[in-house]
Amino acid sequence: MQLNPVNTKQSREELFTTLYQKVFPTVARYVAKMGGSFDQAKDIFQDALLIYYEKAISNNITLQSSEKAYIAGIAKHLWLKTYRDEAGNIPFDAVSIDQPEEEQHQYASNKLMHYLETAGQKCMEILKAFYYDKLPVKQITEAFGYSGPHSATVQKYKCLEKVRDTVKKKALHYEDFLE
Amino acid sequence: MRTSLNEIKTIEEHLFNRVHPADNLLFQANMILNTDLLEKVDLQKAAYQTVQQYSRKQLKAEIEAVHQKLANKPNSFMQRLISLFKK
Repeated sequence: MQLNPVNTKQSREELFTTLYQKVFPTVARYVAKMGGSFDQAKDIFQDALLIYYEKAISNNITLQSSEKAYIAGIAKHLWLKTYRDEAGNIPFDAVSIDQPEEEQHQYASNKLMHYLETAGQKCMEILKAFYYDKLPVKQITEAFGYSGPHSATVQKYKCLEKVRDTVKKKALHYEDFLE
Repeated sequence: MRTSLNEIKTIEEHLFNRVHPADNLLFQANMILNTDLLEKVDLQKAAYQTVQQYSRKQLKAEIEAVHQKLANKPNSFMQRLISLFKK
């Protein structure tokens, strides 16, 4: 299943469905064997899918539904890292896997994120397409209905300016970060 | 493109290492001399972080939707997996 460069919502749904069917049983059986819960299996598997997606997109490699061992490996690593203490000090050999930074540091407060999701949704979707999904500008132009790649790029910078100014404005209100 | 947008573009090229090393040095010197520029660079980094946080939230929601879809199918492999955890 080759998805790049078409990282659309529909193609992702197909990919995640296939990966769920192929890899989740392995991960769930592993977590069950280690004494964990179904919710733990679900959480680490979903994080593993996110890590896999980001790695594939940023390294510009082809997303494949056959990367079973790789994703199961990330999930097992995450489970040991997160739950090994609860499970009674299982020996842990350190394998370096980049964790989503989000867990360590939430940049935007919930309030700011909610504001961006509602008032700024269109802009956030365009920025997501450019910077996160890394779609080619031609495809973004078509998907968002711009007259040409130049308009799409100008809109990208306008949206980035809007987010930057929103972050600045919200940062001035200290109470927004106290939740 | 208006001046403020060109500035955002320049900052982006600097942050993403898309400029010639000589231009990069010049930019770094400007940041030392111009605290206003330094603040703009920091805020732009925060904007990218915010986009990443937003995008991860959306991606997680897409993954969760797939999970729910599979979990709600009668007699699916998901339901057999849940039974593994029942002691």
